[in-house]
Amino acid sequence: MDPIRVPPEMFRFTSGDRAGLDVSILHAFGEANERLETALSLDDVRAWLRSIGWLEAIEDDELTGRLKQLRDWNLVDVVQNHSENYRTAGEYERRNLQYSLTRQGEAAFAGVVHAMNVLAATGALQTAVLDAIADRLGDLVRELDRGTNRRIFTALLELEAHLEALRGNTKQFNGELQRLLRADGANLTTFHEVKASTVAYLQEFLTNLEHRAHTIAVRIQQVEDHGVGLMQLRALTGADLPQLTTSDPGPAWLEHRRAKWAGLRAWFLPVDGSQPRVEHLHIVARKAIITLLQVLDRITESRRRTSSAVSDFRELARWFTVVPAQDDLHRLWSTVFGLSSARHAHLAHPDPELISSTSAWAEAPPVEVSPLLRTSGRTERFSRTGKVRDVAAVRAARAEQARAERAELEAAWDMLDTGGPVRLSSFGTLDHSVFERLLDLLGRALGAAPGRGGGRRSTTSDGRIEIVLRLPRDGSTAVLTTPRGQFRGPDYDVEIRTAGQRPVRRTAGGRP
Amino acid sequence: MTKLDNQLVAAEREEVAHGIRWLLAAPLITERSQPETFDLVRRRRDPIRQWFDYYCGWTLTVEPRLGYARLVKVRTVTDPTRPARRLRSGRTPFDRRRYALLCVVAAELLAVPVTTIGLLADRVGRATAADDVVPNFDTAIRGERMAFVDVLRLLELYGAVEVVDGTTEAFVDSAEAKVLYRIDATLLLRLLAAPVGASQLAVPVDEVALRFDELLAAVSRERRYGLASGAHDETASHSEVQRNLWLRHSVFRRLVDDPVLYFDDLSADERAYLASPTGRQLLRRAADQAGFVLEERAEGVLLVDTDGIATDTRFPDDAGTAKVAALLLLETLTRPSTMEQLEIEASALLDRFPRWAKTYRDDDGPRQLASDALAVLAEFGLAHQEAGLIRPLPAAARYAVRDARTTGSGETTS
Repeated sequence: MDPIRVPPEMFRFTSGDRAGLDVSILHAFGEANERLETALSLDDVRAWLRSIGWLEAIEDDELTGRLKQLRDWNLVDVVQNHSENYRTAGEYERRNLQYSLTRQGEAAFAGVVHAMNVLAATGALQTAVLDAIADRLGDLVRELDRGTNRRIFTALLELEAHLEALRGNTKQFNGELQRLLRADGANLTTFHEVKASTVAYLQEFLTNLEHRAHTIAVRIQQVEDHGVGLMQLRALTGADLPQLTTSDPGPAWLEHRRAKWAGLRAWFLPVDGSQPRVEHLHIVARKAIITLLQVLDRITESRRRTSSAVSDFRELARWFTVVPAQDDLHRLWSTVFGLSSARHAHLAHPDPELISSTSAWAEAPPVEVSPLLRTSGRTERFSRTGKVRDVAAVRAARAEQARAERAELEAAWDMLDTGGPVRLSSFGTLDHSVFERLLDLLGRALGAAPGRGGGRRSTTSDGRIEIVLRLPRDGSTAVLTTPRGQFRGPDYDVEIRTAGQRPVRRTAGGRP
Repeated sequence: MTKLDNQLVAAEREEVAHGIRWLLAAPLITERSQPETFDLVRRRRDPIRQWFDYYCGWTLTVEPRLGYARLVKVRTVTDPTRPARRLRSGRTPFDRRRYALLCVVAAELLAVPVTTIGLLADRVGRATAADDVVPNFDTAIRGERMAFVDVLRLLELYGAVEVVDGTTEAFVDSAEAKVLYRIDATLLLRLLAAPVGASQLAVPVDEVALRFDELLAAVSRERRYGLASGAHDETASHSEVQRNLWLRHSVFRRLVDDPVLYFDDLSADERAYLASPTGRQLLRRAADQAGFVLEERAEGVLLVDTDGIATDTRFPDDAGTAKVAALLLLETLTRPSTMEQLEIEASALLDRFPRWAKTYRDDDGPRQLASDALAVLAEFGLAHQEAGLIRPLPAAARYAVRDARTTGSGETTS
């Protein structure tokens, strides 16, 4: 379609403070035109205004003023009637001047009427319209065989009207559907009902849609076989168009028919083999059903779960607003949300077990508070965290033992350092204790979530040893031998590093 | 391989203990804000979950894929000193407006998966307009926008909303700011810890203030302890099992969450439970597993976290003048004193430390310092104010000067 250009003043009468009167005047002209009265005098206009329900009194001056304005907007034209006798200038004005709608005025009012209809109408997908299209196409085929031009003309126009209805209805229905999908809030119950019935409606429409579309496509093809151009020419002859202007209306009319026919084909049997629009309709309807069902689910679901939380939050907002004291606010927060931190002392006795649990606090020795804090209000930075080192000193022996074990373990971990990625199978034969450590590291790595490249990375809890594991591409199996038996598993790419920058040692059975 | 096992067990114990204390400090840990902590909790979730479930009856939910761990701390809180705080340099506690807005925002966020700050503000505006109790939210006022931003930033911290585009802070300067959020509805639901929803109680709004304590107890009531949920109600109908469960949970909830647990604050049943061999044994084991040092005394029990992990604030500490003053005031606060006496001590301290904060330098300084220091002592369960008299609590003796009990020469200690 060509870009639409609306004459600038065409719809000015619908806005402004006198819009009500202006629209009524045009309405009056419209009503009069239906009775085939086209030229109205001032009194006629007044009479028609009253008949369409404009009951306010209007002064002559005002009415002429509005008519003049409408004339300026090129909606109303004025003609003079010289066939009567006039006694005064006033009477001349009242009865000599006759007003009629211009072409633009007629169109503008029709536009407004149409707009109001669209606004009030509800769209529907009607299978009846599809049936009607198929029927009219059948008629056309029959009439092309042995009918008159006049009947071809009426059948064609009916066909076009039905197609127009289909387009209009679909557009409107789709618009409403999408608005329905967007809408939230409202009354949940009615919402629920509307959506449920819409789903049922759509499902019914979809049944046999394909079958009907197919029938239509076949009949379009039949008409095409007779020749569309011929059909349209015969329709033109049948139309018997009046020639009201100097130019021949025929070509324009034919052009119109061609456009409509192209529209019909686009809907059911596109020339370029692309997807017919009726299938889009299918898709939209299907999608809408799914979406609607999901929305319904969500409503039911949210009713069950979220809605209570929403009302809890709303109720709490009210509580927070009316709770009396500042302290109560914080207590409410801590109780309801449970997000507050615990609170504990951090200074302990060097050896808590030396003090009896039955002695009073006043009798027990105090904890060591930094003397500097008392004298200067500062804590020594290095002793900020009163570490448990004191406890360790009390249990020196155990700590020493732990350190020794640690050292041994670290030595073993050092032995496992691969110095770069190796295959698991390259470890070959291992001492059992070293094998257990390797197993521990593998376990840690496998316990970690795989990284971006598919490698699993883990460290020991002290961060000293790092292991990276990648699944081999070839899917081979590694066999490790220890004095106590054999271990089989996927032949991972293994990389074990110690953080301490120690000289890299080779594993027992590792690569040279 | 006992040596290796020892090491592994030690490592695991340490991790579990850390995990427990981290969760006590931050009941909601997200992978985004604390990746390492979250990873540890994720790995050790089973023993940590068991610890909380057994001792406190608190549920720990770890969502490895969604990236958060939530400890649902259920208890009727009596301590008002642990508020939500604004995520700004002053860490000011939330005020009434911010708390209320937080709830309204959370309610509105539940309805949509994605939103922008402008749309959200509209929704909040409409919600408050429809509510005749909560004051209307008006984005034209800068202070309101500021409160709104504080609320959103807290929700961001908790991971309930995620900023996809823009920065929330920009909204303070202009209501036209463009910020896009993605909302995690399940996490929003999990923000509420109370087992009973506020809306279920259906209390008329003008009674909320009058029945406040009752309401706090009502929202934190759990059904598994029997009909009247045990607390201090002797007539409640509940089985022996439920009663024991309730005793254990109620004692441990206070113990792991509060700085000091005084026997005087417990019911006779709870005291008896703690004194029983089972109770003592559990106490030791719980402290040990969580890496706390247990301190048992005649007057009460406390858990010491020597790493200072499971706490929002420390004492003694030099983090503020009030804390230092609190420590020094303890030296003189060996018997009940009046506020006036404390003020005299405070002004002596101000003379002794001429470089202390300017805040306390005007005429009202000593009074302010004394009350701030007292607040610190109250936060740590070391002092208690009642009827104008300030009473030191037994645990205050922990911080006494070693040899100062005999003379008044405390000020010359060096």
